[in-house]
Amino acid sequence: MKFIDPHIHVTSRTTDDYEAMAKAGVAAIIEPAFWLGQPRTNVGSFQDYFSSLVGFEKFRAAQFGIRHYCTIGLNSKEANNEALAEQVMEIMPLFLAKENVVAVGEIGFDDMTALEEKYLRLQLEMAKEVDLPVLIHTPHRNKKQGTYRSMDIIEEHEIPPHLVVIDHNNEETCEEVLRRGYWAAFTIYPKTKMGNERMVEIVKKYGPERIIVDSSADWGVSDPLAVPKTGNLMLERGVPEEHVELTCYKNALAAYGQSGQFEESDWLNPEPIDQRTLFEGNSVLRGGQAPRVDKQEDDRIIQ
Amino acid sequence: MSYTPVQLLENWILRQASDAGQAWLDTQREAVATGDLKSLYMAFGFAPRKVGKADLQLTERDLNDAAEARPGWMPHAWTIDQAARVLLLMSLPADDDAAFFATLEKLFQTAEIREQICLYQALQLLPHQELFDDRLSEGTRTNVKSIFESIAHNNPLPMELMSEPTWNQMVLKALFIGTALDPIEGLDRRVNPELARMLIDFAHERRAAKRPIPVELWRVAAPFADEIALEDMKALYALGEKLEQSAIALALVSTASDEADVILKSNPEIAKRAENGEITWHDIARQAY
Repeated sequence: MKFIDPHIHVTSRTTDDYEAMAKAGVAAIIEPAFWLGQPRTNVGSFQDYFSSLVGFEKFRAAQFGIRHYCTIGLNSKEANNEALAEQVMEIMPLFLAKENVVAVGEIGFDDMTALEEKYLRLQLEMAKEVDLPVLIHTPHRNKKQGTYRSMDIIEEHEIPPHLVVIDHNNEETCEEVLRRGYWAAFTIYPKTKMGNERMVEIVKKYGPERIIVDSSADWGVSDPLAVPKTGNLMLERGVPEEHVELTCYKNALAAYGQSGQFEESDWLNPEPIDQRTLFEGNSVLRGGQAPRVDKQEDDRIIQ
Repeated sequence: MSYTPVQLLENWILRQASDAGQAWLDTQREAVATGDLKSLYMAFGFAPRKVGKADLQLTERDLNDAAEARPGWMPHAWTIDQAARVLLLMSLPADDDAAFFATLEKLFQTAEIREQICLYQALQLLPHQELFDDRLSEGTRTNVKSIFESIAHNNPLPMELMSEPTWNQMVLKALFIGTALDPIEGLDRRVNPELARMLIDFAHERRAAKRPIPVELWRVAAPFADEIALEDMKALYALGEKLEQSAIALALVSTASDEADVILKSNPEIAKRAENGEITWHDIARQAY
């Protein structure tokens, strides 16, 4: 089965992870711009980070047969540094037009401050201007209120819910998010967000419509195989295959496909120019072929 | 009749673009021509969405026209969005060279992979290209092979602008990352003893690691081969694979030295083919990669 992980911070992950993901069937990934575990202190760091998301990381992923996309945005934590946030707003338009950018995000609330709200609103307007979907990060603390408030603000800006993915949902938030017409994403992240057994129950309860599974794997203890593991667990526990396909592949494709920058043919049947530019040499796989995962005959030996 | 690069690009796009794509490009070029940088940045990014990413369908005649319009311009691997992006860049006012340079640098610093490829290939057609020698060296430090190739391959600027140390690093890096030397413009013209020494050292390093030596190396090393290098070539000529033997023969023939003749005589059949022009570096490169 093929999978899409529509939320993973692969910049922080190793080549072992990429190999394992390819082997598990992950065909495409989206890397939302986020913070790096510590606050950045100048706009150049943002510029180089955005630039690596649209450049080198896309190339790196392709070496493992994985098609890489990203979202560009100022995250909620760093929105609290107003002087810096202003400068980030200035460089964002340079990146929103890039080829693999499928949404504005991840934006939203962390501590629910006035500055977080200011830059959420500014970026919602930017998304409208360039006609891109939006990826909303919901807070760890005060989640329910943060989630509802985010949706209220989106509605004030008259962005239709089908263009917005609300991420990091749980049992408490998902009903309202789905009721209001948004895509509801769930992050399978050990200990803090969702576990995959809970996820199976949610899909059984609410069905597959507009539900999206992701890993949000990053620099913390997290699992880059969370999507395939959850998909496989769903199958094992009697969720119909069609529902697994929707929640672990097709819904993400439909939601972010609205950008016009995210199409299945990109990885199943890439254009000649993409093949020439993304892949290192002739030996690695091309689109549509089985992922090449090198098997070391003897793992004590480094050739 | 000869054409300017702008006329050629316009013509090639016109053949392949949709009406909507063509209209979009015309409008954007007008906006960029007023010096509106925001239009440039957005249009540069959006070009593939508006005109597509298809390869330009160029004929032999188109390629000849290109070489006439800008000596060394080889656009056979260009795509339609690349051509559109270059037209946008060529619409930008260029009277103020510092401002022009700063705008281009901004595009380089924020470019994704295919945009970088486009920019490095575009420079040869742009005003003030002589200002971009440091940018070319910076570009060759990339880890992304296709970006490196956009500078090294089918691009006259390295030959025209790079200092000898930078040129030498570029050629050595091409071998190091496993990309062809044959498409490097001016390769034979810019051979030099220091480059030959670097390549011969590299060949020794490869041998010590029991890794294959790229066959095109001998094309650049042979004109300055010392005794040790001739020993290496002799050994490969006797025991190497067929492609290696062909490359060594061609390299030795080009040196026209007595020592080379002695080695060539040990396998007169391949030597004869090299002398008669039945083996070419172009074919060797094609078979090697």
